[in-house]
Amino acid sequence: MEESLIINRRNFLKQAGVFAAVSAMGGIPSMALANDEHVSLTILHTNDVHSRIEPFPMDGSHNQGLGGVARRATLVERIRSEQRNVLLLDAGDMVQGTPYFNLFGGKVELELMSKMGYDAGTFGNHEFDNGLEGLAAMLPYANFPFLTANYDFSDTIINGQTRDYIIFKKQGLRIGVFGLGIRLAGLVDPTRCRGVRYLDPIIVANEIAGRLKNDHKCSLVICLSHLGYQYRDNKVSDRVLAANTRFIDLIIGGHTHTFMPEPELIRNLNGRTTVINQVGFAGINLGRLDYEFERKSGKASLVTAGRYEISVRERSLIKHG
Amino acid sequence: MKYYKIRSYLTLLAATICLIGASCSKYFVPRGQAAYTRLQIDSTIIADSSYVAFYMPYKQQLEAEMDRVVGRAAIDLTKPNDTPETLLGNFFADALLAEARKQDPEAAFSFGTKGGLRIELQQGPITIGNLFELMPFENEIVILELTGESVQDLARFIATTGGQPVSSISMEISGSKATNIRIGGEPLDPNRTYKLVTYDYLANGGDNSRGLDNPVSRMNLGIKVREALIDYVREHAQAGKDINTQLDGRITHNK
Repeated sequence: MEESLIINRRNFLKQAGVFAAVSAMGGIPSMALANDEHVSLTILHTNDVHSRIEPFPMDGSHNQGLGGVARRATLVERIRSEQRNVLLLDAGDMVQGTPYFNLFGGKVELELMSKMGYDAGTFGNHEFDNGLEGLAAMLPYANFPFLTANYDFSDTIINGQTRDYIIFKKQGLRIGVFGLGIRLAGLVDPTRCRGVRYLDPIIVANEIAGRLKNDHKCSLVICLSHLGYQYRDNKVSDRVLAANTRFIDLIIGGHTHTFMPEPELIRNLNGRTTVINQVGFAGINLGRLDYEFERKSGKASLVTAGRYEISVRERSLIKHG
Repeated sequence: MKYYKIRSYLTLLAATICLIGASCSKYFVPRGQAAYTRLQIDSTIIADSSYVAFYMPYKQQLEAEMDRVVGRAAIDLTKPNDTPETLLGNFFADALLAEARKQDPEAAFSFGTKGGLRIELQQGPITIGNLFELMPFENEIVILELTGESVQDLARFIATTGGQPVSSISMEISGSKATNIRIGGEPLDPNRTYKLVTYDYLANGGDNSRGLDNPVSRMNLGIKVREALIDYVREHAQAGKDINTQLDGRITHNK
């Protein structure tokens, strides 16, 4: 405990920001103060789960025994029982990677995510793997919205089936969430995304985040991004997005399968902090960010960030228990 | 000591928040903040059985599908590391070429890499699951139109790596050089182009292959390599034939 606090302090000083990463220690603050002065909010997130419904098989590979939707569900439910305000979000590439997708076309993944109570998701490039027809066929199995602000689907069969953003209200707190996807050209076969117009993610983000913050008075603006964490060239990534936009508080990223050791703080165009987090792939981890809001000022403070590895050890528990 | 550290931590947090412009007088960090207790998920998270029950019917269907037999191998299709030509490689490359020719009859030859073939196939029934294990990747077939010069570069790559899965191209490996290169039985003509069947991973530069980076044209067929293998085996079975690939000297060492 003492050691963990010291590490936290060091992180604090180093980052000179408003959050302390405690992923190394796995610490959780008990933030559920349900009074009029404070509202707490817990963001849980995944990305690039890639049809990993069961844990990785015990075949000696690096990730054996990790992940699995049934254990993620237990974890999410436990956190929901502890925290009043929880949002569960996904940053895309929910499908492709196991035969579940080859056989059932995304139905199983989306049904299970719906059952788990995901609040919103966005499209990764792999959501297009069975073409727009395949996408249209699997969308009805999701009971949560897909946020795809920089894809214009007007001329496609999925027109009207996604949204740019959604606003969640929790104890009077307004949380705006929108989604951004990666440029499909070169990633997705042109025949599988014909008619999809790609809009500049930074222009779209500035417009929508500004509206969420200023017109809709959101205390927190979250971007679900499948742009990728960073690239060697100047391709738009989450880091580029954060630095070139004004009103995004949190970017939940995906695509690059980046296991970030802790969330990264980027100074945005307003001189404020935009936080980026991404939790690897395949549902090995569940990201957790706990926010605390003071009602009068409406200022947010990210008080902790955790990354929970859904590990092999539970597997033996299941077997024996 | 512990208490002191918690307090100093909270002070620091408050100070930091001041720096970013929040109202210091109104904002305070609750005492509960210091209770950074460790959540031991490894000893406490058990799979939610309702989720397992939910996906179990799919899992059973999937396993049944994986166990489905699509054809038969008359012999073990192996890929020893020390030979320039292997039964598994020939089977794989022949299947790629045959399936791609359905889309483009001008496809002249095919090329894959042995590293991409993840298991060997045993003599006997071939299941969907076997072919998933052989090609777990979501690679898709690509046809590249290559100049004769590019084909020569590719042949050199094949030679320096000790042979790779190919079909309808033959060559001799002389040291690190490829000699006597023939396509469809005809000597390689440096002045014409050839349509190569391969897959996106290699066409996009995977496995450090050579000769593929400057195609005259490129066509993505949108067909998964695995699907092509399944089709190829299934069609053999439907025609009453086992997979009976032979070594035919398409790549040899010139000693």
